[in-house]
Amino acid sequence: MLSLPDFRRLCILKGIYPHEPKHKKKVNKGSTAPRTFYLMKDIRFLLHEPIVGKFREYKIFVRKLKKAYGKTEWSTVERLRENKPTYKLDHIIKERYPSFIDALRDIDDALCMCFLFSTFARTGKCHVQTIQLCRRLSVEWMNYVIASRSLRKVFISIKGIYYQAEVMGQLITWLVPYQFSHDHPTDVDYRVMATFTEFYTTLLGFVNFRLYHSLNLLYPPKLDAKTQSELKEEDEEDYAMDSESYIEKLSALSASLARVVSSADEEDAELDQFPVEGEDMEKMEAREKEQKQQEAQRKMFQGLKFFLNREVPRESLAFVIRCFGGEVSWDKSICIGSTYDVTDETITHHIVDRPNIDKQYINRYYIQPQWVYDCVNAKILLPVEDYFIGVTLPPHLSPFVEEKEGDYVPPEKLKIMALQRGEKPANEQEEDNDEEEEEDEDDEEEEEEDDNADEEEDDEEEAEEKNLKEMEDKRSQGKSLQVKVTPGKVKVENPARLEQEEKAEEKRLAIMMMKKKEKYLYDKIMFGKKRKVREANKLAAKRKAHDDAEKAKKKKARK
Amino acid sequence: MAAARRLKRVAASQPGFLTLKPSLNPSDLVSGRRKRVNKNKKKNWNKHSDINDVEEFLEDVRHQERTTGGLLSEKSDDSLFFLDIGQPKKAEQKVEEPVETKKRKGKASRPLRIDLILQHDSLIPPAKDVLAYQQPNAKKLRRIAQKAEQLAAKGVVPRRQRQLLNRRPVDRTAKKSATEANNNPDREYYDIWGQESKESADPWYLQQTGKKHVKRPEKLNEKPSVLPAVEVIAPGGSYNPDFLSHQALLQEAHDVEVKKQKQEDKLERQLAFNKEDKATEETVLREQVEGLVEEENEEEEAAANDDEEEVAVGAIALAEKKTERQRKRERAEKIKEQQRLANRKQTDQQQQLFQLRSIKASIKQREQKTKANQIKRKAKQEAQKSQPRRLGKLKFQPQDLEVQLSNELAGSLRQLKPEGSILKDRFKSLQKRNLIEPRDRAKFKRRLKVKYVEKRAFKEIT
Repeated sequence: MLSLPDFRRLCILKGIYPHEPKHKKKVNKGSTAPRTFYLMKDIRFLLHEPIVGKFREYKIFVRKLKKAYGKTEWSTVERLRENKPTYKLDHIIKERYPSFIDALRDIDDALCMCFLFSTFARTGKCHVQTIQLCRRLSVEWMNYVIASRSLRKVFISIKGIYYQAEVMGQLITWLVPYQFSHDHPTDVDYRVMATFTEFYTTLLGFVNFRLYHSLNLLYPPKLDAKTQSELKEEDEEDYAMDSESYIEKLSALSASLARVVSSADEEDAELDQFPVEGEDMEKMEAREKEQKQQEAQRKMFQGLKFFLNREVPRESLAFVIRCFGGEVSWDKSICIGSTYDVTDETITHHIVDRPNIDKQYINRYYIQPQWVYDCVNAKILLPVEDYFIGVTLPPHLSPFVEEKEGDYVPPEKLKIMALQRGEKPANEQEEDNDEEEEEDEDDEEEEEEDDNADEEEDDEEEAEEKNLKEMEDKRSQGKSLQVKVTPGKVKVENPARLEQEEKAEEKRLAIMMMKKKEKYLYDKIMFGKKRKVREANKLAAKRKAHDDAEKAKKKKARK
Repeated sequence: MAAARRLKRVAASQPGFLTLKPSLNPSDLVSGRRKRVNKNKKKNWNKHSDINDVEEFLEDVRHQERTTGGLLSEKSDDSLFFLDIGQPKKAEQKVEEPVETKKRKGKASRPLRIDLILQHDSLIPPAKDVLAYQQPNAKKLRRIAQKAEQLAAKGVVPRRQRQLLNRRPVDRTAKKSATEANNNPDREYYDIWGQESKESADPWYLQQTGKKHVKRPEKLNEKPSVLPAVEVIAPGGSYNPDFLSHQALLQEAHDVEVKKQKQEDKLERQLAFNKEDKATEETVLREQVEGLVEEENEEEEAAANDDEEEVAVGAIALAEKKTERQRKRERAEKIKEQQRLANRKQTDQQQQLFQLRSIKASIKQREQKTKANQIKRKAKQEAQKSQPRRLGKLKFQPQDLEVQLSNELAGSLRQLKPEGSILKDRFKSLQKRNLIEPRDRAKFKRRLKVKYVEKRAFKEIT
């Protein structure tokens, strides 16, 4: 009835997967030869599919076409080609994903495939139409994420760029390959991938439609009329043909989309705070705080103007920057859709990836592209100094790693967390100054950077200890202390701190009162728990050793 | 006689006729005696009238018409003559322009000879083709057309046209296949989840007519694997990784390599072969010569073997039949044994009452063991779920870890060299999540065996 490749295609489209039986011998009638098994029920269900008829028609079409070619009847060939049997997958999608949220849950895979296929070269290996459709859908998706400001995490790896966005409560992760890497491996079955892509493009198209309508945007997307008139240039024909210039402008990601019901200004109305049942004030306040943080995060780059130099990945950076409210432009010769030129005075950040750059404007920062990505992951604007041209960049940490208590936390991450909390590394600078009075003063600035990484968080206690030590030293030396009697200050007692201390006391007493056997068990449990902490300490010590070794090396190299 | 004379005359009148006598003139021969001809007869008008002058005149007229397009006498004076006033200044400019055109066109200014040959060389316009203007039914057709015009002016339309207009327009579905194709880049999408299902008709009717939608089995909605669709690479895979996470990733890759190396070593060890066991020439010789040389040693060995065998044979021959006494004894013993066992069992049961505590302890132990086993089995099942299942002929081969060595790490995004292919990664991910079975590239299988034949030239050499 159906040929084997057709059957496999149908299984992929319908979402029927091979099944591994528990008792292979029974199913295989005594032999243990490895075979692929499908459930009978699934196959019977498959037969009710109307696409099966379309497959048969296609087989007949191919046969007739071959005959016509063989007889060189070109008019017949044309006629057959015009009436080629086609099918649509809409009903399958409705069947597999009865609700929109189901579709959103499965959209990861679809996005990865679409982005992957849109980077393929347009040779005849797979249909060029599929590649074009994938490109269109991926551009639409990116525009949606920009319009809804839902990007949360970015990670640049050696494989590709991982993005994570939060859409309608679902966390969606997808992987985008680099534009310039392409060696197609030979052991990948292209037909299988093409079938998957066929299904996923349809799914993504419908999801895009729904998402656009949820945001009150026109679908298929149209550029906003105002911005479109700005973009109109005289030499537009240099970039693309008229038919393609629209999608090229859309894919430039520099313009905003038109809405169904156009609103003149976007006013973020303050939503009324309704307490959810069962929540007390604390939780509500926490939620409010979180929401405010999210709002602040979404507008992180608002007001900043970026300019991308030629050698940085334009699409990725444009996407990320626009997702957080910034404005971005690039050189006219790279791509269509650049809004302002390099000579614009209001540019605040210029993103460069070269070792040096000739002409430097004063009122803008020249930074490397990692700054943008690290800011997104840290959810705040990081200090720009670490990312200047020619500076060794801090490592790009993965935002997908969630450290539990006691795990090793790399010092860079600690620094970022400190910045998030608002503490500036001011205390650390004091200590550094003391240490470096003995060393060369020329190296002060560099050393500070290195030492900052080594410092711990509890600076207050250390400062106190240091003071006491100094006082003791002075006393031992016989100098008179500069201590004066001053009226006492009322120490504000922190009630929270007191509570904590009380609880700790109670715990200690309870431990003391345990029986020997119980204490033995308790010790064992604690040992197991603290294993992680011990490992983290070990790793930290290793890191310190490594950093010290580097410092020593640098010093030697300079001297 | 008259005929012969006529013949002579005709022959003589031919031009170039030579007489035998050179002094004789052929025309004299002809016009010796002129025969009298009646010029009034129609028969003789053609033969004996001299129309040369008229012919000349007409010829001249035709010549004039051919060359100049009309009679010279009818032409105006201006067309034939011009007044030569000398060379005006305009002539210089005029001369320049044609020279320029000549210079510009060059050889192209002269028309081709072939075109010249094909042109008419007489100025008389060619005659019109009368047949082209002849239509057999011209009048009738004209009349019909006029009548039709009059009717159309009134509004009456002939039947054929009425039928054409009434026919419904054909939906030109040219290239419909291209627009309806699933991967058409301009295809339309609509709100698939917004519309309610249109099954409003009677379910019995739908079932009988085959229009009922078959329900999708619930089991198909479950995902075949708990793994997430996109697995993010470890933090050591960043393009600018943190030192320790990079080391951790390198360690993992190193472990994999060590494992592979160990397996290879194991295989080699298993295949290893003790060199001493290899046959030397001495042992080969001995093996070949066995049975042919050294007969004395054989006899001694054979004698020793015989003695041992006899003793064994003796022991077997003494077994006899059992007597009645023996059978009775055996029966009594059996009964005794059974009784003993029954007693023992009873006492055991009674004593169990006192062993309750230890029994309880042993039961508890067993329960603990079964519980532990259950937990282990469950944990194993859970672990199995995240493993790729064995679905086909090939086992799942996980791809190599994507890792860049320390000296390959790029300092900046510009110098980054991507590692690994995302196409392969996606393919393997699909296999890992049990969506497809692991497949290998199709091998080329020959249907017919290949026969190797040496060429004759080769046969001579070898």
